Amino acid sequence: MRLLLAEDEKELSRALTAILERSNYAVDAVYDGQAAVEQAGNNAYDAMIFDIMMPKLDGIEALKQIRAAGNYTPVLLLTAKAEIDDRVTGLDAGADDYLTKPFAMKELLARIRSMTRRAGDYSPKVLKIGSVTLDTEEQSISCENSIRLASKETRLLEFFMTNAGKSLSTEEIFHHIWGNDDPVNGKVVFMYVSFLNSKLSSINADIIIIGGENSDYTLESGVSVL
Amino acid sequence: MPGIYGNYAPVLEEIKDEMMKRITAYTAEEYQKTGMKIHEHLIARVKSEDSMLEKCQRKGFPQTAQTALRVMKDSIGIRIVCSFIDDIYANIAYIKSFPDCRVVEEKDYIRHAKPNGYRSYHMILEMQSPHADIDGNTPGKYFIEIQLRTIAMDSWASLEHKLKYKKHVENQELIVSELKRCADELAACDVSMQTIRNLIHNS
Repeated sequence: MRLLLAEDEKELSRALTAILERSNYAVDAVYDGQAAVEQAGNNAYDAMIFDIMMPKLDGIEALKQIRAAGNYTPVLLLTAKAEIDDRVTGLDAGADDYLTKPFAMKELLARIRSMTRRAGDYSPKVLKIGSVTLDTEEQSISCENSIRLASKETRLLEFFMTNAGKSLSTEEIFHHIWGNDDPVNGKVVFMYVSFLNSKLSSINADIIIIGGENSDYTLESGVSVL
Repeated sequence: MPGIYGNYAPVLEEIKDEMMKRITAYTAEEYQKTGMKIHEHLIARVKSEDSMLEKCQRKGFPQTAQTALRVMKDSIGIRIVCSFIDDIYANIAYIKSFPDCRVVEEKDYIRHAKPNGYRSYHMILEMQSPHADIDGNTPGKYFIEIQLRTIAMDSWASLEHKLKYKKHVENQELIVSELKRCADELAACDVSMQTIRNLIHNS
């Protein structure tokens, strides 16, 4: 993994770089916020660590510019002040985590691992319920046959499979897949559940989603679908 | 003119035409009832002399009328291409209702797709005819192979056919797996469109 470290105290930067490299990270070190923005624009990083107090551009400003450019790489902020305002501003500006100085190196390493875990391998890519395997990367389900799913169908089935047997309301399904901004649309949920059931049937699955329009839905297994 | 089908070539044409007439008839009947066409394309052919000769040889059989009419069951071939999956099964129900036809073999590659992604419904019928057949039966018995597909399945099958007949293709393995992915995506469209049609009809 590759990290971008923006810390203006050269001694501290050298020490952090050494320890991170010993933990098998490749590290690019810069010493001000402007350089951080440039580096972030030129290279792909797995995570970034920014000090807040830096010359030219502080860590929070640099972070805002990076986020505004559409870069969602996880960022951890280091702050010398144990000031709540700094932490709140930093997190709201798009930081994923923060650490106040002085900090223990092992805590920094653990937080970096935590940040990069969520970006990558945290959620299982392949789920299996009954005889049906859902590959979320390929957006396909297979049993006896295989068939492809649309993006929302994949997320919907993933939601049902990780909550198999539980009764899920139309509202929570809608918010989980279609987001919290629009008013709940029970018809589209019903339609997509219908699509999923048809596709499950087409691969001779032994699982099915039961429930009617605007009701609760449950993924049940051990069912013969025809 | 004696060929691989011996004296039976004209009978084959007649049987093919009779089946086509029946399919066209129930299609018109359905159209009267629902205003919908139960198939989009209907093609029929008697397998050409060359194709049948080649097939007999390829399968290791003597190139005789006996092989062509009794061992091979696709001397008469009909392909029905439909818009929706349910239309396929509607056609099958009609065909199975003909009292002088017996289903000798059927394979549902729609519910049980082939590993390469191929989907289709295959039926072999044995149809009775007033003309005697090569074994001396009266009424004579003649085989007809019927393939039923959706438009999407048919497009895919044509493309896959081209691949099979090209000698050397680079990245064969990759192409085969990508073709399968397409087959699964097309199947997804077929299933979704059928679902949409059902939702429209049920509302």
